[in-house]
Amino acid sequence: MAKLVGIFAASHGPIIARDWETMPRDHRAKLTAAFDEIGRRLRACRPDLLVVVSPDHWVNFFINNLPAICIGIGDEHDGPPEPFMKKVYPHAVLKGHAAFGRHLLQTALDNDFDPTLSHRLTLDHGTCIPLWRIGVDPELPLVPILVNDLEAPMPSIRRCFAWGRLVRRAIESYPQPLRVAVLGTGGLSHSIGETTMGWIDETFDHACIDAFARGEERQLDAFLTEQLEHTGNGAHEIRDWVIAHAAAGSSGFELIDYFPSPATLVGAGFASWKAPAA
Amino acid sequence: MTDYWLSKLFFDLQHDAQLVADYRADMAAVIERYRIKPEVRRALMDDDVAALSPLVNAYLLRFYFQVRGMPQDEFMARLHAMKGAPAAAKVGHG
Repeated sequence: MAKLVGIFAASHGPIIARDWETMPRDHRAKLTAAFDEIGRRLRACRPDLLVVVSPDHWVNFFINNLPAICIGIGDEHDGPPEPFMKKVYPHAVLKGHAAFGRHLLQTALDNDFDPTLSHRLTLDHGTCIPLWRIGVDPELPLVPILVNDLEAPMPSIRRCFAWGRLVRRAIESYPQPLRVAVLGTGGLSHSIGETTMGWIDETFDHACIDAFARGEERQLDAFLTEQLEHTGNGAHEIRDWVIAHAAAGSSGFELIDYFPSPATLVGAGFASWKAPAA
Repeated sequence: MTDYWLSKLFFDLQHDAQLVADYRADMAAVIERYRIKPEVRRALMDDDVAALSPLVNAYLLRFYFQVRGMPQDEFMARLHAMKGAPAAAKVGHG
């Protein structure tokens, strides 16, 4: 059977790619150190497959057809379309894992979840900045899960916990001996295109980190459900961390680093969770 | 309240380099291809961030003003100037 061997989360933001060479040196050094540490831990767990939980930044979907959750079940996906991404991450095609993708989809349907599916997704900066900076082997197969973190109404935090548990169940019921890692991307606080643009809500971020560290689902659910209405819109991407957290069994959270990064407009957070015992 | 056709214009600009080129060459002609209301058309022609903001997703708004070539600092300053104004209410922006 497959097993879950690593669980991680990392921020993203287009400015990380667009301004990588020109951003303040200390910012770049801190981002590099945090991404590198995730890369080191990811390589140490020797995954055969990476489930990446990310938002879609109006690349695959529009408001005429906007799924809450979409699972990529193709053997291939398209690399990032943004010109600033093509310069730093020039992978036009990324490997998928159709067999596990279909198993995850079937497990979801069998458990009364109703995701949409895609045989070929386009993976934007939200997915690919962490892949680039972490140094994920471009040959490592990906199973993307795209979450609507951008346009209300969005999936409830409660539902994201359920999704995380479902991802874990799908991994542990997959009949092949795959080593599977999970990476949630996005967050922590940031504010994009709204009147508070540029605001990094450190109070929210620290409280959020504390809630993940305590682990308890009901407290984290209550905190996020309440506070996401009062902080910047980018914080909604914390749903992707919640899915990773629940996949880890809602325990074992370890903060790798957090710092407000005005140069990239994000509260930059990096974390891992203890993998379940074999 | 979300304006579908304004959102569609912004979305299409994100996906179609030729449309971006056409838009830069002749904004009014491209706007004519969409069912854009007259007051929204005026806001587009005036680069009126405050008027457009309540009508589209905030990420699409940001992208649009990048296409327009508005420097990020200016875009942010215009957004910040809206604080407290009725148009600043979060409507469907997530």
